[in-house]
Amino acid sequence: MTGPPALAVLGGVTVRFGSRTALEGVDLRLVAGERVAVIGSSGAGKTTLLGVLNGSVAPTVGTVRLLGEDPAALGARARRELQRQIGTVYQQLHLVGPLRVIHNVNAGRLGHWSLARAAASLLRPREAEGALDALARMGIGDRAHDRTERLSGGQQQRVALARVLVQDPRLVLADEPVSALDPLRAREVVDLLTGMAAGSGRGVVVSVHRIELAGAGFDRVVGLRAGRVVLDGPPGALTPERVAELYALDPAPR
Amino acid sequence: MSPPPPPAVGGPDVGVLEHEALLEGHRGGGGVPAERSRSRRGPWLVATAVAVGASVAAVVGGTDVVNAAGWPQLRRFLAAAAEPDLSGSFLALTARATLTTLAYAVLGTLGSLVIGIVGGVAASEAWWRATGAPAPAQRWQRGRGWWLASRVGLAVPRGIHEAVWGLLLLAVLGLDPLVAVLAIALPYGAVTAKVFAEILDDQPPEVHEALLAAGAGRARSVLYGLLPRALPEMISYGFYRFECSIRAAAILGIVGAGGLGFELALSFQSLRYEQMWTLLAALVVTSGAADWWGARVRARLRDPVPARRRDPVLSASLVAVVGLGVLSWTHLALDVGVLWSSRAVELGTDLLGRAWPPRLGPGGWGELVGLSLETVAMSVAAMALAAGGGAVAAVAVARRPGTGPLRRLAGGLGRGVLLVCRAVPPPVGALLVLFVLYPGPLPGAVALAVYNLGILGRLMAESLENLDEGPRRALRHQGATGSAAFLYAEVPRAAARFAAYGVYRWEVTIRETVVVGLVGAGGLGRAVAEQLAAFDYAALTTTLAALVVLTVLVDLAGSGLRRAIR
Repeated sequence: MTGPPALAVLGGVTVRFGSRTALEGVDLRLVAGERVAVIGSSGAGKTTLLGVLNGSVAPTVGTVRLLGEDPAALGARARRELQRQIGTVYQQLHLVGPLRVIHNVNAGRLGHWSLARAAASLLRPREAEGALDALARMGIGDRAHDRTERLSGGQQQRVALARVLVQDPRLVLADEPVSALDPLRAREVVDLLTGMAAGSGRGVVVSVHRIELAGAGFDRVVGLRAGRVVLDGPPGALTPERVAELYALDPAPR
Repeated sequence: MSPPPPPAVGGPDVGVLEHEALLEGHRGGGGVPAERSRSRRGPWLVATAVAVGASVAAVVGGTDVVNAAGWPQLRRFLAAAAEPDLSGSFLALTARATLTTLAYAVLGTLGSLVIGIVGGVAASEAWWRATGAPAPAQRWQRGRGWWLASRVGLAVPRGIHEAVWGLLLLAVLGLDPLVAVLAIALPYGAVTAKVFAEILDDQPPEVHEALLAAGAGRARSVLYGLLPRALPEMISYGFYRFECSIRAAAILGIVGAGGLGFELALSFQSLRYEQMWTLLAALVVTSGAADWWGARVRARLRDPVPARRRDPVLSASLVAVVGLGVLSWTHLALDVGVLWSSRAVELGTDLLGRAWPPRLGPGGWGELVGLSLETVAMSVAAMALAAGGGAVAAVAVARRPGTGPLRRLAGGLGRGVLLVCRAVPPPVGALLVLFVLYPGPLPGAVALAVYNLGILGRLMAESLENLDEGPRRALRHQGATGSAAFLYAEVPRAAARFAAYGVYRWEVTIRETVVVGLVGAGGLGRAVAEQLAAFDYAALTTTLAALVVLTVLVDLAGSGLRRAIR
């Protein structure tokens, strides 16, 4: 088999939380350098899919291979080594408000650092050049020493992106990163994310609920409806009919 | 998008502190610009470090502090925990003593609420803005002086600890149950009046002003325009006061007023440690029940049930309050007539005549200043110990998701230890510490530290448990170890809160120094005890004035510190 290596392979993955089925029979193969948009209405399973992809959600049924490994079969240490190769940007960002920006960015390095190094860095930032460089790439190089909670929402978003950038993972996942932003800012953030794939062989998966963001910059669009993959193809395949079908009101009982 | 606000902190003790903190927060001028508060942080931190260092040195310094001969006694006391006195006769005695303590707390609280409502209206701006003058500006000009006078008038009873009130009233009324009730009602009434005044002034003024404009008269305008909206917050505060009253009632027993505290002191003096544990258990259960009740009522007042239906919890609570009031009154067989009996009037006039004018004690200014510094050092050292120990304890006992059974068991044990720490009233704690430490500020500081450790450990653990888990989980999922994620995601968010709790408890503790001093632990409290014993009331007035001044200074320093932390 040739071509770029597989980053994630999902085979027949079903995830249930109690009686609720969040994902149903999902088959998916992501390869290095791929830029994938995940679309679907809220409750369609986008967050759960990203959870499976970063190893924090285990499938009820089916197989998961992340970077060639089965996360459920790994010991604690090997699991951490796997997880540091996968970076996630959350909708709620999950930044630490009272910490300075540079420490929040450096938190992306925690998977690589010893505890002593991590503690020392809180007194005097380690690998500051890397963090400052990432912040500059995200356009907020001047805010490195401010307390994170003093930044605007859009600026905090960029801190979260810089954090994943210094983590330097092979797969970047972003869960609804732009739902709280206006269209112009949303476009900028999506471009920053898809740009992370450029030239690095990194895979990027972004879930968006606004369909118009799924076009430019992505190689592939995966559409979810009620936990099933109902669409998987290049952005060009997004015809109005397919979209209408994707977002049609679901008759299934809740 | 900003990070989500921290979830509301729950639980009995925390409810209590949060209540105070919330009252502080939305009154204490939270509008300090962020940048300014940050630039101020450095000097405050340095000042705190210096104060803590100097206080610890002052408190620990000195030769012979440890009395090795006392260890066996302390060990005996601790060993007695395994075999509390559960004989029928002693349990009956414990039940009676518990009822007495409860009755003091109930009637003391009710008295403080009456004082609080009357005083609260009298100390509110709304009342004094409604004087007869035609224009609002003129009205306020006329009322302002009265308003200030009422505020100052409330500061003095508030600054004197309820145990000192108890001792003074004891001198006038003799051994009468009214002593304990009034010793709680007077200082708590003054605090309640201040808080109620602030609650009233926080209500939107429109209805009140409309009623005034319609010529409804001052009293009726407050009754119909302000009270209805302020009532839930006032009830909620009343329950908080009840929780405090139980602990105060126990301490009043120790200074001679009967009830659980009195029995504790008796059992202590006769070395019956197994009895002390029975009594302590009764105290834990009583104050735990009061905390639980208060927490339920507060929760209901925060989220009322849909309109037009009676809230069963609140209705039952109202019935319970009335029932407890009647029960308490009959149990104590209160006779208010004692207050104007010729004997009380005579003793009271005599005491006042001897207390005024105030005079310096035989030690002069030097002793007064020295004891004041010792008192402050005692409180600072106690709080530094309690805050540091509390933070460590909190990390150890906080309930976290995904911990093993062994961790959970250790956590449960730790929480039990914290419960005992905060259940032992500080004066009893001081007596125990005096087994192994020679009298002086150190045993007082240790007793206060242990007591506050119990409170702060619990409070800090809850604030850890209530932190939003997102940031920590996010770091875990990107491959950070548990301790690294804790260090980056939890410590920074918890630190400011922990510090604020510590400062808040410091403001409470400076008042408490007097009770450990009464049993011989040093500071101004010890001077109070000596001056009372010598009937030197003129010098006592001076000492009490010094205590009030210290309290005010610590409050000022505390609010500055808390602003700097925020």
